[in-house]
Amino acid sequence: MAYFSKIMPLLLEGTKMTLVLWTLTMVLSLPLGFLVSLAVRSRIRPLQWFMEMYIYIMRGTPLMLQLMFVYYGLPFIPVVGPFLRFSRLMAAVFAFTLNYAAYFAEILRGGFLAVPKGQYEACQVLSLNRFQTMTRVIIPQMIRVALPGITNETITLVKDTSLAYVIALAELMHGAKATVSRDSNPMAYIYAGLIYLVIVFVVTIMFKKLEGRYKLQEK
Amino acid sequence: MAVIEVTNLKKSFAHQEVLKDISFKVEQGEVIAVIGSSGSGKSTLLRCLIDLEKVEGGSINMEGSPLVEDGVYCSKKQAREVTEKMGMVFQQFNLFPNLNVRDNLMLAPRLVKKEPEKVLQERAARLLQKVGLSHKDTAYPSLLSGGEQQRVAIARALMMEPELLLFDEPTSSLDPELTGEVLQVIRQLAREQMTMIVVTHEMGFAREAASRVIFMDQGRIEEEGPPEQIFNSPKQERTKLFLNSVFK
Repeated sequence: MAYFSKIMPLLLEGTKMTLVLWTLTMVLSLPLGFLVSLAVRSRIRPLQWFMEMYIYIMRGTPLMLQLMFVYYGLPFIPVVGPFLRFSRLMAAVFAFTLNYAAYFAEILRGGFLAVPKGQYEACQVLSLNRFQTMTRVIIPQMIRVALPGITNETITLVKDTSLAYVIALAELMHGAKATVSRDSNPMAYIYAGLIYLVIVFVVTIMFKKLEGRYKLQEK
Repeated sequence: MAVIEVTNLKKSFAHQEVLKDISFKVEQGEVIAVIGSSGSGKSTLLRCLIDLEKVEGGSINMEGSPLVEDGVYCSKKQAREVTEKMGMVFQQFNLFPNLNVRDNLMLAPRLVKKEPEKVLQERAARLLQKVGLSHKDTAYPSLLSGGEQQRVAIARALMMEPELLLFDEPTSSLDPELTGEVLQVIRQLAREQMTMIVVTHEMGFAREAASRVIFMDQGRIEEEGPPEQIFNSPKQERTKLFLNSVFK
């Protein structure tokens, strides 16, 4: 118990950074993913191709590689490189946001595909414009279908933040590893694991509530 | 002036001509039943009238304003003005599952028509009563039977106060015991002089509720006339063949 209270401040410091990274990534990647999902469905072909390529690259290469590329790789680019030196946190947020936006875009695209064509036609014959059609009819139905997939990615992101270890961001995993090395005591790993579980538990509850709100009302 | 006038309409999908030189007129208060076998172009015709499909040739005029003239479409703005005067009821109902019955009715008029909320509320209540579903106004579509959903869809179309109401096989996806309640509502509208075009496989309904019947075959209007004429003494060979196969 004495050891627990001795190392906890450091682990909590790391937890704070983990939560900052998770929150910033969520806040940025969800709207970006939404825009990408619209662009992928766009009738402007070059835009559509560009977005498909972006999604392919983001899903087809390891997140760890992307992370290392942003932090260690970008500054080597001639001319613009010196302007692309990010802090560890900014590099992590940048890489995670681009990566997760691609996944969210695909999940949202799936949600859009699940809305029958007849819903668009009903809106058209009722003289709704495109914006009204999307905001009042299509998106609410799309979200209901996409939400379980989004919950899943959100939980994965809690654990993926530990990848920021490779650019030495002082998050929870980093703190645990440092503590274990310093004290030759593996307990820090166990405490870190428990902290991840608590975060995932809270996130799960949050999204279950949200799913309940978007469920088709049965009464 | 005719409510809607269609001249020399042409439409093809890929290389197949689905509408070949279709012309007809609908006057105020008429109820037109469009009959014919599957693939004869009935539904496509209806969808072209309300701009869900584009034609390649011909004209569609609604009370003198063109939607398309000799194959050339008018501006988007005018197309909206023209199609705003029409309503459509689909085979698959297409109610909004994320909204309850009342909000299904209120959504479009609230956003499109600039009428006071109170007027719309009263209209919604009156129309729900008309289709016999006042007690379901807070229910969600998934909890309604097919017949109830279709009656809500009719009320939803009427909320926009269309001058022409189009029905695309309104009872084709209903169990036989539920078609009656929907046809009942359409008959009631016919008595109230609502101008309607009904694509249907219900011959009994066409015979008794329609003021005129259009028989379509392979993208053409093969024959049209009052129901007694079409059903009792059809002139065209194809009409006879079709009616024989239906009434066998």
